Amino acid sequence: MKSAVFPIIKREYLERVRSRWFIIATLAGPLLFIGIAVLPVLTMGSSGPSELVVVDRTARLLSTVQPGLEAAGYAVTPVADAAAAGTDPVADHTRRIQDDEIFGILVLDSATLATGRARLTVANALSPIREMALRQVIAQGALVTRLSADAPEVIGLLAGGTLDVEVLDDEVEVEGSDFILAYLGAFLLYMTLLFYAVAVMRSVLEEKTSRIVEVILSSVRPVELMLGKILGVGAVGLTQLGIWAVSFVVLADVGLPRLMEARPELATLREFASVAPTAGQLLLFLAFFLGGYFLYSSLYAAVGAMANSDQEAQQAQAPLVILMIVPAVILPGVLENPESTMAVWTSLVPFFAPVLMFARAVSGWASGAEVAVALAGIAVTTVVVAWIGGRIYRVGILMTGKRPSVRQLWRWVRTG
Amino acid sequence: MTDYAIRLRGVTKHFGDHVAVEDLDLDVPRGTICGLLGPNGSGKTTSIRMILGIYVPDGGTVELLGGPPDHEHRRRVGYLPEERGMYKKMRVLDHLAFIGELRGVRSSDGRRRGGEWLERLGLSEWADRKVEDLSKGMQQKVQFVATVLHEPDLLILDEPFSGLDPINQDVLEAIVRELNARGTTILFSTHLMDQAERLCRRVCLISRARKVLDGDLREIRAAEDRGDVAVEFDGDAGWLDIPEIETAEREEDGWHLRLRDDVPPRVIVERALASGIELRRFERVAPRLHEIFIRHAGAEAAAEAGRPTDVRVAEAVR
Repeated sequence: MKSAVFPIIKREYLERVRSRWFIIATLAGPLLFIGIAVLPVLTMGSSGPSELVVVDRTARLLSTVQPGLEAAGYAVTPVADAAAAGTDPVADHTRRIQDDEIFGILVLDSATLATGRARLTVANALSPIREMALRQVIAQGALVTRLSADAPEVIGLLAGGTLDVEVLDDEVEVEGSDFILAYLGAFLLYMTLLFYAVAVMRSVLEEKTSRIVEVILSSVRPVELMLGKILGVGAVGLTQLGIWAVSFVVLADVGLPRLMEARPELATLREFASVAPTAGQLLLFLAFFLGGYFLYSSLYAAVGAMANSDQEAQQAQAPLVILMIVPAVILPGVLENPESTMAVWTSLVPFFAPVLMFARAVSGWASGAEVAVALAGIAVTTVVVAWIGGRIYRVGILMTGKRPSVRQLWRWVRTG
Repeated sequence: MTDYAIRLRGVTKHFGDHVAVEDLDLDVPRGTICGLLGPNGSGKTTSIRMILGIYVPDGGTVELLGGPPDHEHRRRVGYLPEERGMYKKMRVLDHLAFIGELRGVRSSDGRRRGGEWLERLGLSEWADRKVEDLSKGMQQKVQFVATVLHEPDLLILDEPFSGLDPINQDVLEAIVRELNARGTTILFSTHLMDQAERLCRRVCLISRARKVLDGDLREIRAAEDRGDVAVEFDGDAGWLDIPEIETAEREEDGWHLRLRDDVPPRVIVERALASGIELRRFERVAPRLHEIFIRHAGAEAAAEAGRPTDVRVAEAVR
């Protein structure tokens, strides 16, 4: 006999994927990513010409100032000091500045070396941030130049020093990019889990309040309806995440190199490409998304079945929201101190594990055994929760009137 | 294959302290139209839900199309609940195909049959519109189509006519008759007695969770017939004050007379002639279902049954 679960999954999936909301949200993901990654660089690079003519009258400062200027995005063109020849380089270049051919002309002289004072001629007023950045680059350069003559050994201090960390009794090696990934991934998990679990609740509630559920239950068992709904909505979630993952990879592997080729000044974007997750990390994400989704959506389905209206559902889901917010709140603490007892134990709690254990595993602090225990815990809890939630769902879906008390819920679970 | 589409034996359902249905026996022979009658809250919907296996009875047995009310048998049933919902955002034809698919109709077949039904009901141009764009009357027709799309052997309609305007009531009645003529068994619940009288061959009257009376409608009426007559005449009504007449009630177009036991109706004609009264109308009146209901369930239960129709329409709209 053909099960009725399939048409339910199909309907749930197609109706959602076809919806305007899904298309917008799915497109918005990569666009948001592009926005966060590329836009600041683009706007930085596109604010007029970047060529900066530098006149170094000290003959010593240019070599220390130039790297800083270039890092700040200026194309440095050194010109020889023409004072001896009786011409004023500033006057020579004024026209070019006014015609927007070059950004400006910077004159470094003995005053710069002594007090950090330099002269910059530009067409328009500088933003305070830009001015401060330039000032720092110049002062730093002057400092380095002077120290390299008098006390070269102090230069290292200026750069912020280095710390050689020697780790005893630890095989874990944490990459900075993994740390970022753990943060972003855990946050994405939290958002998508909450979003899709609530989508299941809304769908249950819609069927209940519109009374369509009675028609459906005359030919489908409640457990089939609940299962079909959870699988259908979950498939929508996977589709969306899949599209995001693919577009991320395409952006990082194809889009970014092309972009950097075309616009060399965007080289800083290379860092984003290095954050691209490995296959193992993607697998972890998938595992914790599926585990967390089944766990939370069973709970939310039960909440939808016991409520009679959106407001009631809002109230009834409060305990669940708290359950989901806890890991998001303690996530920074866990990542800062991933080996503490608190971090280990909270990341093993099935309701917190999807976010916390994922973060610890991706950043390299959790062993394979810990991940396995967490996933097993989620699986076992899901079975229990789905059983209880299914019984509440079965009774609640046809109940109208007052919201059930905890004692009533318990009776539903027992007699189901 | 048994001769009964539905057989209930001693079916009971309690919700906490509330008795919804108590010890209900019900037989619905195949091929009949059977009315389940009773006031609101008398247990009609609960009974129907137990027939469909949506509720599990606390006691008694349910036989549906010759077997238990499981998935296999329920798929042969078309059920239109009293409170009918639809997926508001779905397109009409998608909705029909989905409901059909749940009952084992291939999606493509469901779309084809759905299209045919929509055409018949004058809704063809709405097939690709969203359900929420339809008027309430149109939605009710679409819901009815969803109920019959999989060509069920048994149709269970819970208050199918509530909230429908008279024209659409007639359309629906005609389709119900036609499906019955093609062999579909129909059970429908209603609190409107005259509707049941028009459509049903069998009726089952329930009141306060218990069955009051059931059987073939004609037989019931014959058995309940007490020889009432309706008369219309000109002039003074004093001649009605005779021992043979138990009660005489004024109606808008004449008088309704209840005769004492063993008084043949022709006595009234003789009396009228003797009193020099010109009778303009004289007819035997079979008892109305409403009256039979009161006779068996008591006036108190009938008062519950006498809730005016427009209140229910208002509820349906809400």
